[in-house]
Amino acid sequence: MKKTVLDYTLKIRLPLTLFVIAASFVITFYASRAERDSVGYTPDQPIAFSHKLHAGQMAIDCQYCHVGVSKGRQATIPSVNICMNCHAVARKDKPEIIKLTKYYEEGKPLPWKRIHKVPDYAYFNHSVHVNKGIDCASCHGDLKEMEKVGQVKAFTMTACLDCHRKPHENLPYLQKVNNGPENCFACHR
Amino acid sequence: MDSNSNNKKFWKSISEYNNEPEILKNKRNEFSEGVTDDFEPSELSGMSRRKFIALMGAATAITATACSDYRDKGEIIPYNKRPEEILPGTANYYASTCTGCESLCGILVKTREGRPIKIDGNPDHPVNKGKICAKGQAEVTNLYDPTRIKEPLFNKRKVSWEQADNQLISEFKKATEDGVEIALISEHILSPTFNKLLAEFKSKYPTTKQYYYSATDNGNKLNAAFQSYGNYSIPTPRYDKAELVVALDDDFLGVDGNSIENTKNYSMKRDAINKVNFNRLYVIEGRMSLTGMMSDYRMRLRPEAQLEFVWTLINELKSNGSISFPAELASKVSNYTITKLVSTYKINEKKLRGLLSDLSKSKGKSIITAGKNLSESVHVSVNYLNELLNNTGNFDYNNFDLGASYASYKDFENLVSKMESGKVGVVLNLDINPLFNLPADLGFGKGYSKVKTTVAFTLENNETSEKSKYLLPINHFLESWGDYRNKTYVMSLQQPVINPLFNTRQKESIFLTWVSGEAKSYNVNSYHKYLLENFDTAIYNNSSKKTDNKSFWYGSLHDGIVELNTTTNSKGVFNTGSFGSLSNPAVKSNFSVYLTEGYFLGGGKFANNGWLQETPHPVTKITWDNYVSVSPSTAKQFGIEKDDLLEISVNNKKLKIAAVIQPGLADEVLHIEFGNGRKVVGDVGLETGVNAFELISKKNTESNFVLSGAEFSKTGETYKLASTQEHHSLDDTFVKDFHKVRKIIQEGTVNEYKKHPHFLHDEKHEVFSITDEHKYTEVKWAMAIDLNKCTSCGGCVTACNVENNIPVVGKDQVLLGREMQWMRIDRYYSGTPDEPETSNQPMLCQHCDNAPCENVCPVNATNHSPDGLNQMAYNRCVGTRYCSNNCPYKVRRFNFFNFRDHFADSYYENNLTPLGNNPEVTVRSRGVMEKCTFCIQKIMDARQVAIKEERPLNGNDVVTACQQACPAEAIVFGDSNDPESKISKYRKHNLAYHVLETLNVKPNVTYIAKLRNTHSEEV
Repeated sequence: MKKTVLDYTLKIRLPLTLFVIAASFVITFYASRAERDSVGYTPDQPIAFSHKLHAGQMAIDCQYCHVGVSKGRQATIPSVNICMNCHAVARKDKPEIIKLTKYYEEGKPLPWKRIHKVPDYAYFNHSVHVNKGIDCASCHGDLKEMEKVGQVKAFTMTACLDCHRKPHENLPYLQKVNNGPENCFACHR
Repeated sequence: MDSNSNNKKFWKSISEYNNEPEILKNKRNEFSEGVTDDFEPSELSGMSRRKFIALMGAATAITATACSDYRDKGEIIPYNKRPEEILPGTANYYASTCTGCESLCGILVKTREGRPIKIDGNPDHPVNKGKICAKGQAEVTNLYDPTRIKEPLFNKRKVSWEQADNQLISEFKKATEDGVEIALISEHILSPTFNKLLAEFKSKYPTTKQYYYSATDNGNKLNAAFQSYGNYSIPTPRYDKAELVVALDDDFLGVDGNSIENTKNYSMKRDAINKVNFNRLYVIEGRMSLTGMMSDYRMRLRPEAQLEFVWTLINELKSNGSISFPAELASKVSNYTITKLVSTYKINEKKLRGLLSDLSKSKGKSIITAGKNLSESVHVSVNYLNELLNNTGNFDYNNFDLGASYASYKDFENLVSKMESGKVGVVLNLDINPLFNLPADLGFGKGYSKVKTTVAFTLENNETSEKSKYLLPINHFLESWGDYRNKTYVMSLQQPVINPLFNTRQKESIFLTWVSGEAKSYNVNSYHKYLLENFDTAIYNNSSKKTDNKSFWYGSLHDGIVELNTTTNSKGVFNTGSFGSLSNPAVKSNFSVYLTEGYFLGGGKFANNGWLQETPHPVTKITWDNYVSVSPSTAKQFGIEKDDLLEISVNNKKLKIAAVIQPGLADEVLHIEFGNGRKVVGDVGLETGVNAFELISKKNTESNFVLSGAEFSKTGETYKLASTQEHHSLDDTFVKDFHKVRKIIQEGTVNEYKKHPHFLHDEKHEVFSITDEHKYTEVKWAMAIDLNKCTSCGGCVTACNVENNIPVVGKDQVLLGREMQWMRIDRYYSGTPDEPETSNQPMLCQHCDNAPCENVCPVNATNHSPDGLNQMAYNRCVGTRYCSNNCPYKVRRFNFFNFRDHFADSYYENNLTPLGNNPEVTVRSRGVMEKCTFCIQKIMDARQVAIKEERPLNGNDVVTACQQACPAEAIVFGDSNDPESKISKYRKHNLAYHVLETLNVKPNVTYIAKLRNTHSEEV
């Protein structure tokens, strides 16, 4: 009697449990991968700014707003006064612009939702990449088509290293490109 | 003297010299006792393992249910209206002036997003030329100190500025009407505009009387200058001009005078790389000072005997006909002969005769200086001796005439009696601390409490401010405007680099409000405006006016300096009468207490600065405390051991203080450094050492700091001093003649080197590798340290701390050998304990090509980069400490705690102090190993610029923090693959060697062996 119970537990219950655990782990692992890497993260922003309109249709250069991108580590989110360069005059009647103007005039901080983030211990430098001729779209996706910005590619160490090791495959538009550094100090300090 | 270094035995402490078992044990062990002790779990975070797992489980469950949602990544908040010059992520530099001491060095303040994070020297400043001392570097911590006073206080209660100003103005008016004194006590004020403002204040409130006072004053030197030359301007010795320097207890490379200027000039005469143009340094001193460690010849002499010493020199030089001495004064000195000096004070006669012959040979090419703690008579005699030897051309007479000396004890006695009789209405303390520094028997404290209105201008609470009715918090100098001038030819400007963090005002604008007599007249810019007006009238109108006044001002502000072409001061005529009227030196026997300024605490001002408290003393390597140094023979005679608590009594005052046995100290001298022992201070400075000012008395009129007739007794108790000296020891007693075989310290003499340049590398040995060597094809980083120039001042250590976010660990952790500084300066003695020679060696990660630490890391957290760096990935480190175990240089540091949280009840974990962190460097947490990175963040910055400019990275683009700070320019850094670079030249030099070369780890830090400029006959 007792023996059969033990047999049943060992032969059927245990493998079944293990299988269910393993299967659910594997399914969750692959199904949630994008979310873990934040791919597809498209938060609502305090002001519904459209890259499609500004960068796409009007073809404003990225660096007009993201002033730091070729000068330093941070690309920088444009300060409100940069928006007001145009919007002090342009489209002043639109609700989103009225919101924007209010932020500007009250001197209130404009809390944009952060979309792309590398961990604190990685020191990604925009300027070295941009000055080597790498296009923004290679990491950030085609912003000219994005009404609302979301993350398109994974920002993991694997993703960084993949491009550093195989730049020709990942950046076919660059004629002359060397492998990126792979040593620890290239990103961590 | 044993000049052949290879036969020398090196030792680091007396106990090591005597081969005591404790030390031998320490050397054999990998880790010093206690360093690997278990944690006390109750001291760690309150969470138990079980609770942690439970929470983990809960967290996982929550994550699982919420897994369809993305992780929130927070917000990015850009500037609303971005200031044009600020680009997030890019540093800005502003020129200003450091007013930490009277040297007034020009500084460049590095700011990130509007926050000052590092102070470097201003390269355009003609005096300090881009260098700044440890204290100046650590000023950033003072700015962000959480114990700064945030509001004005009246009777310890918050009060508004307007109310305080109104009350004080009416007090001033009342004092003026009643004809009682307004006493203004301050250090010498070296700002022309502030002086003008104070003159206005005095004319508005004419009963004001000014008292100059400083804890670390050089009053004796100043008075002697007045006696000899008739003005209050101390000439600066130009060490770059002299062939022979004789320093009488003058720590000119340490804390006497402008050490940055002195070190820069002195090191120019220690150039072993290009022209071997060594000067010769004699140091005659009672203590063991930083300058003494650098000397070629060092003689021990108690400080009271210095006058006799100078007179002996004069007499002997007169006798051998080197100087022409007025006959009427001849009888004054004729009693003082070498034989007498040698027999009384047991000075080494050979060295003394050598000094005399050097002095007669280098007439007009020598400098004789005396330390600021010696009596006025010594300084007058030294001035005279320099005149007699025609040395006056080796001095710079461009120091600004201060116009007045410091207030004497007599002046203070008068002030106290006036205070007690109610003849003083108001006392204003301008950022000084007389209740801590003045001799207690002056009764200043008692008189102070009787004054109706007492005002303290201060950053932090101190002994004086606590007893003051009004406490006016002032701006840090990084929040202030100012103009400063201590040399005739340059004006140094000060500009704020951050808005005042608290409700503070700069002291000048407080006076401006008082002068206007209207509390409401204050606004933030009022002193700025006043300064501008004065600048226009005093400077711009006298300039050549090539531009309009606005551009001239902005240009000057940008440079931080205005060079003034006023006629240079000329030396006054020496007044021989000043020498003639000196009274004869009194012979002193028995013990005396000798007080000198501590190296890092500036007379107590910097007591609340953890970085400075934890920087090891240049000589004893003791942190967090002061102590009494006794000579080895005194210690032997009285059975004193290190850490014994002695009771010192002098002037009827007693002080309990722990003892250190200091090799090279003069017998019968009890040397104590002052600045420690503050009682009213922030958490960092509490209970750090004892207050040596308690021993001084108003009776010590000759010198405040040489106290004769001292006694001491052993109390039988001990007090543990935290010395870093035997931590991270490189020696191995199992290897005979380790230093020779292992080549840790290598030395020679100048003459030996000139005769035989290859003397270091006579024994050639082939070392080969059993594996293939890695090829470094592009830039390869390397450093060289010139031991001829390094004075072990500690500037590099502090610069490294600030640049690399190195935490303060506290005395308890230093005792366990867990200090975190990436750079240490090893100090080795050789010779006998009584007359030791000293060798210093900065030690940092050697970035070995075949690094032993890399092979043993189980997770590959430390490995090698293609540009020759030994890299450390913190986020990969699991804290096995194998690397540290395997490092032959003992330069790896482990975070046994999250030290920011652990130190002094999380003193450095608040909203304020992290503002001073370098955002380009990770703040390491508990459980990871760290070490010198060759300032990788600076290398990456240079790489970024090179890529932008589409050129290859050049080795000269990178200046490491230690290199930038080194006032002697002993540190060279660059690309060793570039044959034209300075570093390649250093690495190939005849004097270059690597520490532990035979291990074949191929270190990338090269040392240039120290040469001593001793006499040739001794070779």
